[in-house]
Amino acid sequence: MAFLRQDPRLGVKAVVLAAVLIALVALPPLAEPYVLHVAIVVLINVVYAEALYVIMRMGYLSFGHAGYIALGAYTSALLATKLDVSVWLGFLAGGAVAAVFAWLLGMITLKLRGIYFSLSVFAFAEVVNAIFRAFDVFGGPAGIANVPRPMFFGTRLNSHLGFYYVVLAAAVVSLAFLYRQASTRFGFTLLALRTRDTEALAESVGIAAARYKTLAFVASCFFCGLMGAIHGHYLRFVSPFVFTFFFSTDLVIFNMVGGLGSFWGPMAGSVLLTALGEQLFAAGYYKSLVYAVVLLVVILVLPGGLIDLPRARQAWTERRQRFSKAPVTTAER
Amino acid sequence: MTRLARFLTLAAVVALIAGLPLPPAAHAQKAFKMGAIVPVSGPAAAFGLGVQRGMELAAEDVGTMTVGSDKYKVEVVTYDTVYDPGKTVAALNRAVYNDGVKYGIIIGAGVHPPILPIIRETGFLDLAFAAAGRQITNSENPTVFRIMASSDQLYQTYLVSVVEKIGAKRVAFLGPNDELGKNDGKLVKAQVDTMKGKGVQFVAEEYYERGARDFGPALLRLIAHKPDLIETDGSPTGSIALIAKQARELGFEGYFLNSTAVLEAKAISDIAGKAGDNIIALRIWAKPPTELYSQLAERHQKKYGEAAPGTMWEAYAATRWVADVVQKTGTFDTKKVAEALAQSTYPQHPFGAASWGGEKAYGAKRQIVLPIPAAILKGGKWEPFDVRAGKFD
Amino acid sequence: MEIYLPLLVQGLAIGVLTGILYVLVALGLTLIYGILHIVNFAHGEIYMLGAMAVFYLHVVGGLPLVPTLAAIVLLSVLLGVAVERGVFRSLRGQWLQLVVASVGISLVIQSVGWIVFGIQEKSVPSYLPGIVQFLGVRLPRERLLAAGVAAVLVAGLYLLVYRTKAGLAMRAIEEDEETARMLGVNANRVASLSVALGFVLAAVAGAFVAPVYSLNPGMGLEPILMSFLIIIVGGLGSITGTVLAGLLVGVLQSVGAVLFGAEAAYGIVFVVMIAVLVFRPAGLLGQV
Repeated sequence: MAFLRQDPRLGVKAVVLAAVLIALVALPPLAEPYVLHVAIVVLINVVYAEALYVIMRMGYLSFGHAGYIALGAYTSALLATKLDVSVWLGFLAGGAVAAVFAWLLGMITLKLRGIYFSLSVFAFAEVVNAIFRAFDVFGGPAGIANVPRPMFFGTRLNSHLGFYYVVLAAAVVSLAFLYRQASTRFGFTLLALRTRDTEALAESVGIAAARYKTLAFVASCFFCGLMGAIHGHYLRFVSPFVFTFFFSTDLVIFNMVGGLGSFWGPMAGSVLLTALGEQLFAAGYYKSLVYAVVLLVVILVLPGGLIDLPRARQAWTERRQRFSKAPVTTAER
Repeated sequence: MTRLARFLTLAAVVALIAGLPLPPAAHAQKAFKMGAIVPVSGPAAAFGLGVQRGMELAAEDVGTMTVGSDKYKVEVVTYDTVYDPGKTVAALNRAVYNDGVKYGIIIGAGVHPPILPIIRETGFLDLAFAAAGRQITNSENPTVFRIMASSDQLYQTYLVSVVEKIGAKRVAFLGPNDELGKNDGKLVKAQVDTMKGKGVQFVAEEYYERGARDFGPALLRLIAHKPDLIETDGSPTGSIALIAKQARELGFEGYFLNSTAVLEAKAISDIAGKAGDNIIALRIWAKPPTELYSQLAERHQKKYGEAAPGTMWEAYAATRWVADVVQKTGTFDTKKVAEALAQSTYPQHPFGAASWGGEKAYGAKRQIVLPIPAAILKGGKWEPFDVRAGKFD
Repeated sequence: MEIYLPLLVQGLAIGVLTGILYVLVALGLTLIYGILHIVNFAHGEIYMLGAMAVFYLHVVGGLPLVPTLAAIVLLSVLLGVAVERGVFRSLRGQWLQLVVASVGISLVIQSVGWIVFGIQEKSVPSYLPGIVQFLGVRLPRERLLAAGVAAVLVAGLYLLVYRTKAGLAMRAIEEDEETARMLGVNANRVASLSVALGFVLAAVAGAFVAPVYSLNPGMGLEPILMSFLIIIVGGLGSITGTVLAGLLVGVLQSVGAVLFGAEAAYGIVFVVMIAVLVFRPAGLLGQV
């Protein structure tokens, strides 16, 4: 917990976080089911986005995270429907399977850089979906229906409220872990591995780059698998058409719009864009258009993402001040 | 305030505002809301737009209805699903929980599994435009009605007659590589097998990726088996046109059979030219079956500036039928209305008199039974294709 | 097995033709990556715009084919330069932002396309209808035409890149931008030229493939996925690699379908892609 000691304004931060958590726990019973639905989807997307963030910090752009999410979702769904395994175990199994695949594939894919990595994970995600589609044991193109909700002391959590708390708990735990990954020495080391050159530099001072990268990748995919399983049990359905390439792209957009400068960036991006997307329910292409325009505006005008807004505003006002002063003579300088 | 605190407050405010659904505006006129939970964008948009517009035309025609002691107007609320399961779940959640919509038309067999539990839990009355027979309309889902002819129904009713009429001896199947295609492949094979005694064989089946444009690979092997008839299942206009074109390029000279609701003759003949001839389409009317059918077609053309997609008429009929039953029952309670609906008939359906069936095939009387046409494309126009219809129950 | 031999030959022929179509579509993507190391996700949408332009100018507007093509080339150049100046230039060097920006552009074009062009499937009549029968094999004329165009473009591209001054400048920038700039190469102009050219290739591909299939605003998705596949196999940035990979994929799909069925053939192509990624990630002829 060394990182805690370094933060001078920890007290305030902790209070704020606690307030948010209390709100997230106490308010929902007063909320309508639809609001709970939005909350669940937002929480799930936040975890996905933050998991992706860990990898993007290392300089790897993944357009295939949906593949690991799908692995987690299918594992849990299969265990629950075909083998009657407890859903809680299914969640963990989902995470574990995704992690194992991440470890195996990481050995090959992490050696690739830049667009090669992106294309390889994209290919992997497509293969995963293709295999699930091809074989009836995985449900084939129809997917797996009637995926059950977990049992909690004798009741099945079929209601929105009940399942919301499951999602909240999983999200809080996942985000806590992912925050550690991003902010501790581990996280800063990952930053150092961002390009091939800096990675070589890091290795030269004794950092086992491959091990860090693999660990980060596996952890990221574990949480994707875990939340993917939860996602599948929320929908009570998994199919090859749920976790698609477009889904992976959405996650990348959440990260970029929110900003890669801090852990809170992807969270901001997910919350904003998911909630916004829910409001644009009448025509699908307007939603895509809005996402795309927001993305382009952010990239061109505010490359640091939304969380960079305060700093960017400050820089902007400074520049204005500097250039609005009357021209100074050399003597005054 | 720390950056974190400021950010969190801002995020919370934004989330609350953005995510908080707006309470529906108070109407001077009370509204009977019906949802169009359909794709209105993306590749399946034609189906969705047909439904949306059919519902809107029906809403105009119903005008003001009296339910109990109040007057209501039908209001159509559209939720775009882009034919995605996750978005359909979101749409239904919003419709049922936030907007108070308890009736609606939902398109898509592929998107129904995740919403069936919600439908059961809330009693939403789902007028489904979906294939996949038994999985959707069965005794466990009393408020789910299929308002289009199902594949089971089509093939049980028609396949044998069509084969006999064109004198085909070798039948092949080319379908999309998804549950619809795989299911229908089995159905067709089973039907053809019943004709073994008459010398008819099922010779080949191939599957293509839905959305593919090049059917060459799938067609090559299929055509080598020299079929007389290629059953192309429920593939949309663009696909059937390309299938026909590419099959003829490879030397196929037989007939095609198709069972999609939305097929445009002009588009097919534009894309495939003469290759489009001899496509036999079930569900397509070459001649308007009723006055109402032509009137609706004209109204749609005037109002929206283009020809009506095939789903329009069935959506119109379903909306009016339900509005009728709701009025007669005097309540919006979906369970009561569902029971009343299942026992009722609707003689004013644009296709002809409609009722419900499917007890034997599905275990519940939730499948619409109505006249199903067959047409054959000749020279860019649909001509009636006269076949004796079998029985479906 | 008798049934199979003529079928295999037909399959091979169709496979080669389809493969050349893939090459035609993937060329623009290869070029832009080869020179600027930008993966242009909007490639499929430019292809779609090219096809739509033919529909609106030639079919609806009645403009003859040659002026239509000229207009398409001009419009793509303008669009390419605009995109390069407006978006790519400010992000030069930041490959992550560039990729994501091109995703954004592709989404914008696609969404606007659905709104503007509508959902009805459109079609462009064949420039050269009919079939050619050659040694028992049936070859649609319009595909032969597209193949011919592809061959001309590939040859033209080679000439441009390896035999002209502009091409020399492009290769110089690709190899070592700083040194090239020090030696007087105008990097900005090379960038604009490359993007414009890539867009032209995409749009022209769209124009010539348009009559073969039908048109709708979502038609850009399949070409870009296919192009990615080809580029992974052939190697990013290598024209020869793209050509070989395109032909390979086309033939594998076709012959594989004849031998094992269409579904299996689709799977075979995937397996090949994975094999390449695992054993030779740079692609068969790629530059690393």
